[in-house]
Amino acid sequence: MLMHILNGFVYGGLLYILSVGLVLIFGLRRVVNFAHGGLFMIGAYVGYAVAMHAGFFTGLAAAIAALAILGILLDIGVFRPLQRHDPLLTVLVTFGILLILEDLVRSVWGKDYVSVQVPQLLAGNVDFLGLQYPVYRLAVIALALITMGGLTLWLKRSAIGLHVRASSVDAVTTAMQGVNTDRVSATVVGIGAALAGMSGVVAGPLLTLSPSMGSYILVDCFIVVVVGGLGSFTGAFLAAMAIGQIHNFGIVYLPWAASSIPFLIMIGVLIWRPQGFAGGASS
Amino acid sequence: MNAPAMNKPALQGIGLSRHYGGFAALRGVDIAVPAGEIRGLIGPNGAGKSTLIDVLSGRANRWSGQVLMGGDDISRQSPQVRRRRGMARSFQRTSIFPNLTVREQLELASFQGDGGGVDEVLEQLHLDGFGRTPASELSYGDQRRLDLALALIGRPRVLLLDEPAAGLTVQESLDLARLLRDLVKSWGVTVLLVEHDMEVVFSICDRITVLHLGELLMEGTPDEVRKSPEVIRAYLGRAAH
Amino acid sequence: MSAQAATSLPAPAARPAMVGAGIALAAAVVGIVIPFVFTSPVTLSLATQGLMNAILATSVGFLIRQLGFVSFGHATFFGMGAYATGLMLKHTGLPLEVIMPLAVLLPAAFAFVVGLVVVRVSGVAFSMLTLAIAQVFYEIVVKWRDFAGGDDGLSVNLPTRVFGLPTTLFQEPGDMFRIVWVTLVVILFLLFLLARSRFGRLCFAIKDNEERARFIGYRTLLPRAIVFAISAAIGGTGGVLFLLYNGFVSPDVLHWTMSGSALIMAIIGGAEFLIGPAIGAVVFLAAKDKLGDVTEHWQAIIGITLILVTVKWPHGLVGSVWHWTTRRGRGGRA
Repeated sequence: MLMHILNGFVYGGLLYILSVGLVLIFGLRRVVNFAHGGLFMIGAYVGYAVAMHAGFFTGLAAAIAALAILGILLDIGVFRPLQRHDPLLTVLVTFGILLILEDLVRSVWGKDYVSVQVPQLLAGNVDFLGLQYPVYRLAVIALALITMGGLTLWLKRSAIGLHVRASSVDAVTTAMQGVNTDRVSATVVGIGAALAGMSGVVAGPLLTLSPSMGSYILVDCFIVVVVGGLGSFTGAFLAAMAIGQIHNFGIVYLPWAASSIPFLIMIGVLIWRPQGFAGGASS
Repeated sequence: MNAPAMNKPALQGIGLSRHYGGFAALRGVDIAVPAGEIRGLIGPNGAGKSTLIDVLSGRANRWSGQVLMGGDDISRQSPQVRRRRGMARSFQRTSIFPNLTVREQLELASFQGDGGGVDEVLEQLHLDGFGRTPASELSYGDQRRLDLALALIGRPRVLLLDEPAAGLTVQESLDLARLLRDLVKSWGVTVLLVEHDMEVVFSICDRITVLHLGELLMEGTPDEVRKSPEVIRAYLGRAAH
Repeated sequence: MSAQAATSLPAPAARPAMVGAGIALAAAVVGIVIPFVFTSPVTLSLATQGLMNAILATSVGFLIRQLGFVSFGHATFFGMGAYATGLMLKHTGLPLEVIMPLAVLLPAAFAFVVGLVVVRVSGVAFSMLTLAIAQVFYEIVVKWRDFAGGDDGLSVNLPTRVFGLPTTLFQEPGDMFRIVWVTLVVILFLLFLLARSRFGRLCFAIKDNEERARFIGYRTLLPRAIVFAISAAIGGTGGVLFLLYNGFVSPDVLHWTMSGSALIMAIIGGAEFLIGPAIGAVVFLAAKDKLGDVTEHWQAIIGITLILVTVKWPHGLVGSVWHWTTRRGRGGRA
């Protein structure tokens, strides 16, 4: 039982790290990045490829760096030019990018499942609350908490963080404040993408890699973000943890309905608060 | 049910309050407009005029108090029900249907199925050449009039107008004011008119309600309001900031 | 119509509707003739599949056109139509004549109920939701082996006759081509009538300015849910035809790439126009057929095409031709 709950937190942690990246991007650019699942996937595969030669942690670093760059390119190439248009255009373009990324991964690594080893440093089990639980999974939970802590501090203390929070509430006025929005946006989108990549690498030893892993987790990510409120960081955390638990319990007790329950919750949230979706922003 | 009682105000708001965040946009405002009157609603910026219109028309959420039309409590009714009961409004920021033609949207708004009254309204608002024109192709002034036309069609009983002259030239505003007055008096509609343009307000309103910082400051005839020291202070006080 | 309307307006819907009916009839006749000219069963079979996809693409395009919403999960309705037909054939004793309409109504009813909740959100949120719905359905069907055969799919035998005709018609490429073609023509014609109707006008108004639509006296939730349901019914119809033709259905029809392809077809063809998505489907599949052998990077090509069309030619093929020839853009007109 405890094990199931912990597993729920592990998946929730992964979802959180991925989803908060989406929230960051939305907060600045007011767009939902449909390619986000693809970024997750690229992170996982890049991490895996580099890890094969230089170890897990180098792979992790490489993936984070690569995704950060990819994120910046995405901002410059897609979000910035399309920012004055209907957000749906950006959605369609990012969807196209998702397709391209999947094809890319399939071409390079094939469509068979790939497994990734847990790094030596974090292998094995440890005695946790009377249970023998894998170290790696505890590390993932810890990483999620650290990410949340780090992000909260960064948002509250740094200048860019202030800008992000302001922009989440009122993008237009914030842009008029004279801050170099484009540079800030590129940074933030880069961070959002890097988080997606980090989540991907870290997910490697837990889920199997495949070209469809991106679209698979994208849906859970959307559900987290809708339930948590698209502009809200704390919301994303709470929702991710909740969805993680529900997803996990679903898999254990009701496998055929595992995806349906979070989805029904999302519908429930929307019935209750159809506009709560936009968080503090107006759409 | 349809004939308003002679002694009940056509439009009435009791104890209307609205807060959001920590800010009180309206604080216990009472307003009663008798049938057939053109009531002006003025006040310095931030006085709560648009909020009051929003509350009365069903556009605002999270407000308290009561809204009555002809004595009937309509507080819980949605905007579309209110419209069907005869309460129409126009918008400060032009709210029309850009991709429909002028005629199409007016027909839709008349919901009589046979396009009744469309020609009349087109003529009255000087839009008759534009029947087949998509609304997006109209000039700003024409679009403002279309916004108004959408509220006027079907001869509502109560008309709430939120700065109908916004962005219009002086001449256009005066023309509009005169047009409104003629229309309204011939139809017997009750009007609540929010306007910044004092010329318009003083020229057509029978009585004026003045709001300040969300509260009712005073209410009276245009002359009384013009001469009221509190009103002057309220406006100058803001300007002196 | 009152005398007032007769003198102040040209005869409403009547004339254009009759022209439309004429065109529809002519198109139907063309479709009936085609298999006599192009007799190759392979070509006809490919074309028939293409037409089924065209029906799904039309349902996606219709939603965009009438509501302004982009659905990433419309394959769900296609799949529901197919699976409902198959499952009812397999497990219930209902005659096929009853099953067919029921299988179309089922996705419509589902869409209506879900629509009541889901059309209230913003456009992008709606898109996200449709993707989620599709994924959930796909998973349910894949994992529920006992019920729907899971990954292996569902295979059924058709009864011998339906509506007095032999069901072998459905397996015969030429005849099936005609059936699907005529179905598509009928659907397009009905959508044309809908767009010109008062209800259609209301939907365009809601799409333009939902708030003002309420303030001029209309409920906006119900019409939108109805449009969503109609769109689902069209998708479901495609699915029913699919099952009848193949005698088989697998979860592939529910996969999000199927939804994505339908969406892309609608955009490439141009969703502004009723016929755009169908044309987009034909072009898409013709290209796939030609290029599919040459390259395995089909998905990337779709992605690139989608990006190009979205950014450079948002009106799609049909739309670009229209705008180019008339030099006037009015969104939402056939």
